[in-house]
Amino acid sequence: MVSRASDSSSKSRKSYSEQSNDGLGNLTYKLNQLKKQVQAERVVSVKDKIEKNRKKIENDISQLLSTTSRKSVIFAMDNGFGNMPLCKYSGFPQGLGDRDYVNSHEVVLSTSSKLSHVQKIPPYTTWIFLDKNQRMAEDQSVVGRRRIYYDQHGSEALVCSDSEEDIIEPEEEKHEFSDGEDRILWTVFEEHGLGEEVINAVSQFIGIATSEVQDRYSTLKEKYDGKNLKEFEDAGHERGIALEKSLSAALDSFDNLFCRRCLLFDCRLHGCSQTLINPSEKQPYWSEYEDDRKPCSNHCYLQSRAVQDTVEGSAGNISSIITNTEGTLLHCNAEVPGAHSDIMAGERCNSKRVLPVTSEAVDSSEVAIGNENTDTSMQSLGKRKALELNDSVKVFDEIEESLNKKQKKLLPLDVLTASSDGIPRPDTKSGHHVGAINDNELQMTSKNTIKKSVSAKVVSHNNIEHNIMDGAKDVNKEPEMKQSFSKGELPEGVLCSSEWKPIEKELYLKGVEIFGRNSCLIARNLLSGLKTCMEVSTYMRDSSSSMPHKSVAPSSFLEETVKVDTDYAEQEMPARPRLLRRRGRARKLKYSWKSAGHPSIWKRIADGKNQSCKQYTPCGCQSMCGKQCPCLHNGTCCEKYCGCSKSCKNRFRGCHCAKSQCRSRQCPCFAAGRECDPDVCRNCWVSCGDGSLGEPPKRGDGQCGNMRLLLRQQQRILLAKSDVAGWGAFLKNSVSKNDYLGEYTGELISHREADKRGKIYDRANSSFLFDLNDQYVLDAYRKGDKLKFANHSSNPNCFAKVMLVAGDHRVGIFAKEHIEASEELFYDYRYGPDQAPAWARKPEGSKREDSSVSQGRAKKHQSH
Amino acid sequence: MARTAIGCEPLVGSLTPSKKREYRVTNKLQEGKRPLYAVVFNFIDSRYFNVFATVGGNRVTVYQCLEGGVIAALQSYVDEDKEESFYTVSWACNVDGIPFLVAGGINGIIRVIDVSNEKLHKSFVGHGDSINEIRTQPLKPSLVVSASKDESVRLWNVQTGICILIFAGAGGHRNEVLSVDFHPSDIYRIASCGMDNTVKIWSMKEFWTYVEKSFTWTDLPSKFPTKYVQFPVFIASVHSNYVDCNRWLGDFILSKVKLSVDNEIVLWEPKMKEQSPGEGTADILQKYPVPECDIWFIKFSCDFHYNAAAIGNREGKIFVWELQSSPPVLIARLSHAQSKSPIRQTAMSYDGSTILSCCEDGAIWRWDAIPT
Repeated sequence: MVSRASDSSSKSRKSYSEQSNDGLGNLTYKLNQLKKQVQAERVVSVKDKIEKNRKKIENDISQLLSTTSRKSVIFAMDNGFGNMPLCKYSGFPQGLGDRDYVNSHEVVLSTSSKLSHVQKIPPYTTWIFLDKNQRMAEDQSVVGRRRIYYDQHGSEALVCSDSEEDIIEPEEEKHEFSDGEDRILWTVFEEHGLGEEVINAVSQFIGIATSEVQDRYSTLKEKYDGKNLKEFEDAGHERGIALEKSLSAALDSFDNLFCRRCLLFDCRLHGCSQTLINPSEKQPYWSEYEDDRKPCSNHCYLQSRAVQDTVEGSAGNISSIITNTEGTLLHCNAEVPGAHSDIMAGERCNSKRVLPVTSEAVDSSEVAIGNENTDTSMQSLGKRKALELNDSVKVFDEIEESLNKKQKKLLPLDVLTASSDGIPRPDTKSGHHVGAINDNELQMTSKNTIKKSVSAKVVSHNNIEHNIMDGAKDVNKEPEMKQSFSKGELPEGVLCSSEWKPIEKELYLKGVEIFGRNSCLIARNLLSGLKTCMEVSTYMRDSSSSMPHKSVAPSSFLEETVKVDTDYAEQEMPARPRLLRRRGRARKLKYSWKSAGHPSIWKRIADGKNQSCKQYTPCGCQSMCGKQCPCLHNGTCCEKYCGCSKSCKNRFRGCHCAKSQCRSRQCPCFAAGRECDPDVCRNCWVSCGDGSLGEPPKRGDGQCGNMRLLLRQQQRILLAKSDVAGWGAFLKNSVSKNDYLGEYTGELISHREADKRGKIYDRANSSFLFDLNDQYVLDAYRKGDKLKFANHSSNPNCFAKVMLVAGDHRVGIFAKEHIEASEELFYDYRYGPDQAPAWARKPEGSKREDSSVSQGRAKKHQSH
Repeated sequence: MARTAIGCEPLVGSLTPSKKREYRVTNKLQEGKRPLYAVVFNFIDSRYFNVFATVGGNRVTVYQCLEGGVIAALQSYVDEDKEESFYTVSWACNVDGIPFLVAGGINGIIRVIDVSNEKLHKSFVGHGDSINEIRTQPLKPSLVVSASKDESVRLWNVQTGICILIFAGAGGHRNEVLSVDFHPSDIYRIASCGMDNTVKIWSMKEFWTYVEKSFTWTDLPSKFPTKYVQFPVFIASVHSNYVDCNRWLGDFILSKVKLSVDNEIVLWEPKMKEQSPGEGTADILQKYPVPECDIWFIKFSCDFHYNAAAIGNREGKIFVWELQSSPPVLIARLSHAQSKSPIRQTAMSYDGSTILSCCEDGAIWRWDAIPT
């Protein structure tokens, strides 16, 4: 790159140790040279860019110009602007305008059109509707940012940031290296080495810390050195498909982005990357087919169980037949082409599909496919014959049928790959080699396939496998010799289906976690399209058979597979007894439903102190919460989202109100400022429909009246110009006392943020801050709902109340009295003394008793 | 921006005028005493390239530039609300080509005037605060976009009176929006800037069906399903201070930034960061200094071909920059002993031969290039 400079640098390096001064001088020179070069190149590149852009603009302008020529003149007046000019003002004669004094023409126009008055609306800042609170996004913070206001009266002067404390120097930002700097850095270090002086010189030159220079150099080194390697990795990565990823990797986004409290992705309230809390008590298994013994499909394990039974019963029978198998197989070898034309026909279709792709070698592809067909059909045929021999075992037919189906399903894929891969490579020399491999693979395949269909636990059965395998091998050999290419793909295809990929194994284990050992449900819900119920069941048995008892490990190959699988199983979950599945049926959780609210809650209410609520964060305690429990520590109850056991002493137990509809302080939930939770409270339920759909029958008398925020049973609110000031919120329909009107939603911000924003809002004289709990303040300034426009009154018709709804604090607005339709809504912002704006202050003397207000009442945020 | 990295230095224009073109004063009008905030030539309709409009106070006036420095007053409009103070005006037209004037100001109401019959066509109520700039989509001149103190940018159809889109919300501006501009060829793109020191580029590509729908809407405009565009495609905090004027220059952006005492116009290239869509960096290519300009709400203007830009300063002087030369060249520095009042906005004629300036003291100056 810089050949001239490198000469001098090599010299300088030579003498570096003795004459560092000289070297440094050289270095500085070099650095300056480089800088000049980089800058010169920059000038050129900017010029290039501007020139390029200029051409683009020229193009754009010509386009614009054509749109400005309006030929369709609708009105034919002289200039389109009235009949004649109102007035003409002559220009200054030549030279006159250059004088220091010029006379200006006063524009006094006799006629001017009136723009009729239009009612303007009260000012507001554009806001977004929220039906649910949101946590503030990082970039929305105003802390440490300069804010520009302008002086209302001076109209001109802009005031930046109000007080000194606001000007917080941003943290030392990481220097972003430009390409030019990278180049200087790289060139210098490559040529002068990483001596201390060199680093110092460079860091001084660029004007950053030495550590950053060093860091950057190592990243650059990695970048340049690792370039090839990375490309290689990338290429490999692209080929990888999801199935090869591990389940945990695939679930990563689920774990990080799915909110388990709101049951949605990318939750704006609780945020991403929440700490995963796993309940210490496992959910009972979800079991649908528990007592239903009907097979779930043709591939159901129940089918194979029948087979197994029969096989076990007629083991002797089979063994006598086995000897014949080989012969039959050989026999059918000859029969194949004609006898199984149906299969052939099916595959012809496939080959037709392949044809256009391989137009060059149509003939050979057909031959190849034909061959393929022979192979596979013979294979399946072999099995068929082997099985058919035993007439008494009727179930075999079914297996065989399913097997055939499966093979048919596989074939299109195989044929496709075979023909596309095999044909362009008409190299018959490698045929033998391919054949050899083929042989091996096919062996495994057929073994596997058989293993799938017939349980591999029975020794005699195993014999069949071997026999069939042998048969298949024989069958295979012939076509191989005749036409040896394009066969390698088939076994691979079959192999794919029978071998368990890591992700399948992991999915299986998850399935066991969810459904217990129910292969029907696992196969259907987690492995659909990947594994059949029977395969799952076999796998299940294999993995359990490797447990100490009963294992008649058939062949070394199987043994290996099982071993691998077992390893998996042992890692991921403890060995479970077979009975496990049944456990799902009825798993009664025994503990008292007796409502025993957390003592501290009661205390707080009893105190009636104006104490702010505490933000709840689920704890991850195992079983019982002890002193270490963060919930206990924070003074919150444990909730259903906590990891602890349901019998945890710190849990809020909900209510068991029967008749009161939970509308009074009789209800422990209501009294604690909480909404009832159908998951927790005994008689509080949510229903839709009249019972005809089989929903749970009514418990208790009426529907719980303390779930109104949860169920969004709100009133229609209207936005209009207030009778008092600015905007106001109005009610569409009349309501009675204590009716729920709606939620006050907004951004959840920290108290620190709120203090800062409060100052900004005070200048604008409109604040939408609302104290929520000890951690958060609601800000409805840019995001919220219409209730944010409800005005303050010291004699209000509404009140706000912070409720704990499913672990989250939310502000509900309720009617304080009967309110008529289309009345304006007011509530007491609960300003501190002297904090209320002038219009909101009470006339002399009538100060309200502060202590008379219950703690649950929300109040507008006050900046400190 | 603290310091420019090596290899990213912008090319800064020299303040020595090249005298490529010389201008002299050819007329001066005095429109009362209230400040004039905007002056703009009609670039929408080639028949009226010499027609311009000014706004100030509650008045909108239409003039025509004639030969020999003559200015003809054509029309005048006065808002019945004396409190109104118009800040901005833009030319537009309906689909038949009938010219409209669109003005807005402190009241937050957009007035659409049909100048062909001198009548108020429509008034758009919706912005929650004053309107700082209105611009017209040159390729579809029935579309105008407005920038407001209410932190939003809104797209309107002047033909049907529909508010089509509101650019605000989660990714929107966090303080007054001072300026907005349509991309010259990418019809979906707009750039806005304001007191939150950021420049945001928005795309309405995904919302274009609504734009089309607005042309055929026959129901009440208030029933139109106005959409919020909450996320810009690009956000750049190019500047450490507010940005009160920005214009597209091809794919680059010219924005005017306040410095401590002086101002400068910066030409920069928006560069998307690959990893995080929406976030971007600005590669500052060139700088056009504007001395003695420490007040805000001073806007620059370009000629039709974007060859030059004219900007006034607090002292009543005008700097005419050649935009597309590299490094930038100051074509001329216009000053007059009597022009002392801050120049709020300039207007360059189609070919740049005439420059108009409107001032805080209510004066309109006309400068004409001396033919060579």
